Amino acid sequence: MKHQTKLSQEQQQQHAAEHQTQQQAVREFANAEEMLRYDAAHTTVPPGIAQRLQKSTGGATEPKTSWWKRLFGGTNP
Amino acid sequence: MEESPADLASAEFSSLYAENSRAIYYLALRFLGDPQKAEDATHDVFLKAFRKLDQFRGEASLRTWLYRIAINHCQNLRQAWHDRHMFSNADDAVWENAAAKTDSPLRVLEIKELGQRIQKTLAGLPDEYRLLLLLVADEELSYEQVGALVGQSPDAVRGKLHRARKAFAALFEKNA
Repeated sequence: MKHQTKLSQEQQQQHAAEHQTQQQAVREFANAEEMLRYDAAHTTVPPGIAQRLQKSTGGATEPKTSWWKRLFGGTNP
Repeated sequence: MEESPADLASAEFSSLYAENSRAIYYLALRFLGDPQKAEDATHDVFLKAFRKLDQFRGEASLRTWLYRIAINHCQNLRQAWHDRHMFSNADDAVWENAAAKTDSPLRVLEIKELGQRIQKTLAGLPDEYRLLLLLVADEELSYEQVGALVGQSPDAVRGKLHRARKAFAALFEKNA
């Protein structure tokens, strides 16, 4: 039991150390555009925009299957 | 079964949104610096595009056409704030003397805070530099297309981009 506890502590310490290393890893970007590209790729478009657009354009098109449902797999807001 | 014109218009718009919403939202987010305003602006830009889709003449790419609508919209919003708050950007000459080297890599330790630091850096740049960097960062746009969007020749874009990179790097280091 005691052995297990010690092992668990060591695993936790190792995990914490790895986590810290990951967080402190230096990332380099050659220039501003490269950094902005990375930032853009990790930016999520709020799904609320598509839903609002569906309402705003709904009267104009009235398609059989709404375009935002095709985009988001038919889930309700 | 034959699709109606409404179905075709909807399918075209769906495709337009799927392919370009990230680019337009990101431009609005980093140009306006506020997620809620960026969300509103992105909605408004695509709504305008939806209403004017039949006027698109194919002289530019759809991405460029959307960017033009987005830039006009965001600049109008910023102009309204400037008029209310009498805010002014730093003089370009400040950036001419910026100490950072453009060929030095930009280093970050905390990737989770990158967005905030980028936003703070962009907010300190003149509008012209901010817009130029955001457009050039889109790999789908050529220097010619960026030039057309900002009203500059491709050579002028390259020259200003050099200064914009330098200004960004200097301010980014300062914001560390």
